[in-house]
Amino acid sequence: MLTKFETKSNRVKGLSFHPRRPWILASLHSGVIQMWDYRMGTLLDRFDEHDGPVRGVHFHATQPLFVSGGDDYKIKVWNYKTHRCLFTLHGHLDYIRTVQFHHECPWIVSASDDQTIRIWNWQSRTCVAVLTGHNHYVMCASFHPKEDLVVSASLDQTVRVWDISALRKKSVSPADDILRLTQMNTDLFGGVDAVVKYVLEGHDRGVNWASFHPTLPLIVSGADDRQVKIWRMNDTKAWEVDTLRGHMNNVSCVMFHAKQDIIVSNSEDKSIRIWDATKRTGIQTFRREHDRFWILSAHPEMNLLAAGHDSGMIVFKLERERPAFSVSGDTVFYVKDRFLRFFEFTTQKEVQLAPIRRPGSVSLNQSPKTLSYSPTENAVLICSDVDGGSYELYIVPKDSAGRADYLQDAKKGAGGSAVFVARNRFAVLEKSSNQVLVRNLKNEIVKKSPLPIATDAIYYAGTGSLLCKAEDRVTIFDLQQRLILGELQAPSVKYVVWSSDMESVALLSKHAVVIANKKLVHRCTLHETIRVKSGAWDENGVFIYTTLNHIKYCLPNGDSGIIKTLDVPIYITRVIGNNIFCLDRDGKNKLVTVDASEYIFKLALLRKRYDHVMSMIKNSQLCGQAVISYLQQKGFPEVALHFVKDEKTRFNLALESGNIQIAVASAKEIDDKDHWYRLGIEALRQGNVGIVEYAYQRTKNFERLAFLYLITGYMDKVGFMCKIAGQNNNLMGQFHNALYLGDAMKRVEILENAGQLPLAYITATTHGLTEIADRLAAELGENIPSLPEGKARSLLIPPAPLTASGDWPLLRVMRGIFEGGLDATGKAELEEDDEAAGADWGDEGLDIVDASEAMANGGDGFDAEEGEANEEDGEEGGWDLEDLELLPEAETPKNAGNARSAVFVAPPPGMPVSLIWTQKSSLAGEHAAAGNFDTAMRLLSRQLGIKNFAPLKPLFLDLHMGSHSYLHALATAPIIPVAVEKGWSESASPNVRGPPALVFTFPQMEDRLKAAYKATTDGKFPEALRQFLSILHTIPLIVVDSRREVDEVKELIEIVREYVLGLRMELKRKELRDDVNRQQELAAYFTNCKLQRVHMRLVLGSAMGLCYKQKNFATAEHFARMLLENNPNEAQARRARQVQQQCSGKKDSSELNYDYRNPFVVCGATYVPIYRGQKDVSCPYCGSRFVPSIEGQLCTICELAVVGADASGLVCSPTQLR
Amino acid sequence: MASPDLLFNLRNLFYLGAYQAAINNSDVPGLDADAAAERDAIVFRSYVALGSYQLVISEIDSSAATSLQAVKLLALYLSGDKESAIVSLKEWLSDSAVGSNPVLRLIAGIIFMHEQDYTEALKHTHSGGTLDLHALNVQIFIKMHRSDYAEKQLKIMQQIDEDHTLTQLANAWLDIAVGGSKIREAYLIFQDFAEKYPMTGMVLNGKAVCCMHMGSFDEAETLLLEALNKDAKDPETLANLIVCNLHLGKPSSRYLSQLKLSHPDHVLVKRAVSAEDNFERALQAVA
Repeated sequence: MLTKFETKSNRVKGLSFHPRRPWILASLHSGVIQMWDYRMGTLLDRFDEHDGPVRGVHFHATQPLFVSGGDDYKIKVWNYKTHRCLFTLHGHLDYIRTVQFHHECPWIVSASDDQTIRIWNWQSRTCVAVLTGHNHYVMCASFHPKEDLVVSASLDQTVRVWDISALRKKSVSPADDILRLTQMNTDLFGGVDAVVKYVLEGHDRGVNWASFHPTLPLIVSGADDRQVKIWRMNDTKAWEVDTLRGHMNNVSCVMFHAKQDIIVSNSEDKSIRIWDATKRTGIQTFRREHDRFWILSAHPEMNLLAAGHDSGMIVFKLERERPAFSVSGDTVFYVKDRFLRFFEFTTQKEVQLAPIRRPGSVSLNQSPKTLSYSPTENAVLICSDVDGGSYELYIVPKDSAGRADYLQDAKKGAGGSAVFVARNRFAVLEKSSNQVLVRNLKNEIVKKSPLPIATDAIYYAGTGSLLCKAEDRVTIFDLQQRLILGELQAPSVKYVVWSSDMESVALLSKHAVVIANKKLVHRCTLHETIRVKSGAWDENGVFIYTTLNHIKYCLPNGDSGIIKTLDVPIYITRVIGNNIFCLDRDGKNKLVTVDASEYIFKLALLRKRYDHVMSMIKNSQLCGQAVISYLQQKGFPEVALHFVKDEKTRFNLALESGNIQIAVASAKEIDDKDHWYRLGIEALRQGNVGIVEYAYQRTKNFERLAFLYLITGYMDKVGFMCKIAGQNNNLMGQFHNALYLGDAMKRVEILENAGQLPLAYITATTHGLTEIADRLAAELGENIPSLPEGKARSLLIPPAPLTASGDWPLLRVMRGIFEGGLDATGKAELEEDDEAAGADWGDEGLDIVDASEAMANGGDGFDAEEGEANEEDGEEGGWDLEDLELLPEAETPKNAGNARSAVFVAPPPGMPVSLIWTQKSSLAGEHAAAGNFDTAMRLLSRQLGIKNFAPLKPLFLDLHMGSHSYLHALATAPIIPVAVEKGWSESASPNVRGPPALVFTFPQMEDRLKAAYKATTDGKFPEALRQFLSILHTIPLIVVDSRREVDEVKELIEIVREYVLGLRMELKRKELRDDVNRQQELAAYFTNCKLQRVHMRLVLGSAMGLCYKQKNFATAEHFARMLLENNPNEAQARRARQVQQQCSGKKDSSELNYDYRNPFVVCGATYVPIYRGQKDVSCPYCGSRFVPSIEGQLCTICELAVVGADASGLVCSPTQLR
Repeated sequence: MASPDLLFNLRNLFYLGAYQAAINNSDVPGLDADAAAERDAIVFRSYVALGSYQLVISEIDSSAATSLQAVKLLALYLSGDKESAIVSLKEWLSDSAVGSNPVLRLIAGIIFMHEQDYTEALKHTHSGGTLDLHALNVQIFIKMHRSDYAEKQLKIMQQIDEDHTLTQLANAWLDIAVGGSKIREAYLIFQDFAEKYPMTGMVLNGKAVCCMHMGSFDEAETLLLEALNKDAKDPETLANLIVCNLHLGKPSSRYLSQLKLSHPDHVLVKRAVSAEDNFERALQAVA
């Protein structure tokens, strides 16, 4: 039993779950009805109008109503929203035991000690039926969830089933309202609206409770005879099926579980019992020490139960509902309905992998608890509480996906928790000895390792490490080093979620989320008032987690917030951008799309990615008060500044961030004294004298202004102030200013004007202004004040100001990115201010650093230079002999002093892979790769008649060099060259040697061909020729796999040969400057080569032009016609037609050795046509044709083979040899 | 709980080729005499691996422990003084008192391996005793193309400590040597190292070699370039890059010249040079 919520109160007699909200009603023996929020654990409301115990209470399925019935014989219908009793139904003559709303009709059924069951219409507020027949207290009555039936239980030892279909019929035909009224009386005496269908007798004592099965025609009842009975009914009769014995006292309440095949009962024996409804055996018993149970209630939707007892109630569920799952890469593996399944996030495809074993015992909470997946072996570990904690290991064959029938014997073992820790290793916790057993996939123990702390559960913590969880802490323990890598105080952690880079970990406990790094250094802790359920890291390092009813986020600095409210709990498996993948309690994969902008925004701020922040501000509607206060709170007033339109807030933010310019703009807008004053203070703090002055001016605070002028040394302005003070009749101000100025004359004058003649006199005398003093003395006459005696006089001169140069110099600060982008308007205003105010504070330079400059330096790529291999001659011996020369001389015993060697005989060396290659093959390329150049050459010579190997030298060397990779093994020991083989596959068996992987492949040739074509099209003939030749030179050394490819290779030779011939003639033609006839001939022969159409058109075009210029009109016309046959483009076609017109009917001016009507081939060496029927010889390799005189010479086309030599033909595939 | 393995980290760094890191992290407190001796040997072997032969030769004086003397011999040998190193090595080995020192035998194995005298090498190493020796045996047998023997040695190592870094490494070497489906396993072993420990050029090269053998030269190139970033002069990285680029059809001459300049004794260079000779000879033979 998993207790979710508990209350302490008076005895609870009635309970009812709200169908949607997390609320429960509890009616108490004291007469109070309580409404609780069981999720938050708070008392929402209490309803106290019944007199005496309230035994029945029920929420309406859809309306904000509930009904209650009590020992005051009253049925009350309440509206919980308005917190009012709407009305009271009177009629019962004794205590009311239960009340219940009908699920669709406006009815209430009530059971009473007056031996009747009544059905009420709560809309008309009348009693519509009285069901009589019980001859003792009726303890309970309830509607069938679907059919028109009522079941009741009574202390008369019977359970009765009532048929109310007549009542239903009457209520749907509203015509006979009056009729119904008259019928009421007859109903009282056994009317026909509700008739007893069955009377179920079998209990020996009074029956306390009876209830229907939600779907099957079954009834379960509980009675004072301490028994629970199951009854079955059909259309005509009902009978007892079985009796469940076990309760030690009166059974007070019993019901079928809506979702599982179990019966739940409770009793005055202080226990709740769970029974298997099919096997009819007890599964589990929960006992309380002192409290008798009185009532049970089930949640209509969720897997929740509530039970009321002597001193309160409990809300609980019977089984965990969290599906066991494990996320690996793009997939989540989970268990649903006894099947192991996986779900791919990107494709959103669900696949059933394999069935898992059903636990042997029937008790509750045996389903898989955790799951661990090893991607390398495709293996799954499933842990459950079966047999006090055990694990099962399933190895899923890669191809078994979808084969549901595939069942294997899982390897099993006992252990609290088990996780994969490395390839072919998993750790199992043995709690009794506090150690982990490391096992391999054969379930054999490889290693035992004691754990450093008393561990309850283990979790994965990177390869070879475990995260051990104890009561109050977690540690990361390296199994190999037996070292504690990190430790963190975190009470009762339940789940551990690693980020995908394994750098951060989130530890979820019941009410807290702790974020730490991989060494378990604490980063932040979040406390939740309700249960934390699951979580996952998003790709930005934000932790997204769920509580019972929210999806929330947690930033790396510990800031958190709600993303979305949830109706039902979900278990997050993966977060990709705005998409949150999760599993629900039924094991279904769901995709929740959320608005991630808030936390992405906050994250961007946190990481100071202001460009990001900026684009988010521009593109979305984030500017709420919440964002501003967040920004302010987090110390980003300068950022917040750019969100705000309200001038006062703007002003405050500007002051906070010290942005005096915006503050001035805002102050101007607001224009009240307080803001100017505050602006003055800030400006003074920053030493921005201009603004201070401006602020004082605006507030007309002349005293401060004057003092400011004094300390900044603007004495002329002080004088000006003095004048102003005079105009304003501000004597004191005037006098002060005079003092500041050190102007004694002025002071005397002021004092005099103010009528303070004695003071004026003294001032004048003291400063030696005798003339004025005399004049004043005359005015004063008798009253000349006496001057103080014996005191030295000194001239009162204002101190010299340190600076009179305006504003204090400010450090140049890089302007934020915001200032440029968002504040264009603000700045414009500011500039207006500059001129209006005439002060000098607006001249700060714009020094926005261009961040993109830093990026300007890209990496420089490799030069694509075609440098030739730097070959040097060495003095070393034959390379391949180094291994072979080691003759097995181990037979002769060594007579060294070591006893060890006396019995040890070193094995003779094995056969190098390269030797195996040459033994198997007669392909020249493979011999070259193996380093057997001589055999390779012999093969080439025999197969293709090749005699000139010079062009092949670099190819041989490359093949050889690319045949081995180099493995660095033990330090300072010689490295191991390893032969690189071809055609690797996952299933290739080891120790079986494949042919060498050659550095030249047929696809490469095709790429080169394309490049060569391109060079030809571009008219780069030498380059094209070089490319074609390189193909022709490489082909003897390549190896292909299939016959078809062999044919393709042969085809390629022909193609290339034609081009080489054509290009050679073209180059030759370019060399001939004078011999125009020969030029035309060569051009004409070129057109005889088999070329790509695009090239053919070019060749024909050039031949046509050449002949036309030399007035060989007939030939030119022939070329023009051919050109037109070759799909020329517009320009070419026009030109060809022109030539055709010009030439038609004309004759050649000179004779060419070119007869297009007579088929011919061109000699590759002399470039003369060999007409059909004439003798020729050919190159054994490339197949070029030559005039007989060339025989025995090197082929000028391929440059490799000897013309006319004997050869067996190209062998380039092992398939040719079989 | 058994006492923690204090040298674990240091050993791993050394085996995985992070020699400088091994030297830098050698100051492990709380070592007993045996562990300290092992530590010293690892540190000096690291110096040798880094090529600081003279430092090792001058740092280790004649009073040092046998194992260090052996390392000094190795430094002597690798610095070019081959004959005298071998002479004194043989002398040491024939001394019954010190001849069975495992480090000395290991060094003997390495030196004779360089001499390509595998029989002599095995004479000293075949009886094993330490994982190092067994690992060297695995390597020698691989070089001799006797993977059956190498496998036996590996089995012994696995019985001693299957999860030991050296066991795993030797396993990977053998997997690569026998090829086929085992290549994937070798790849996974290197992958494990990459996840568990700081990435080293050796691990990257190991992965790259696996990739090349599996035919994925593109991935191998990425790994090798990463390794080149870590150490632009690492001879194995350069050699493998040359091979990889050849297969990719990319120019490799620059790497080859670099390797020829920095490591004229490298196997690849030797092979290339001898291949040219061989070509000329073959040409004459065929003509």
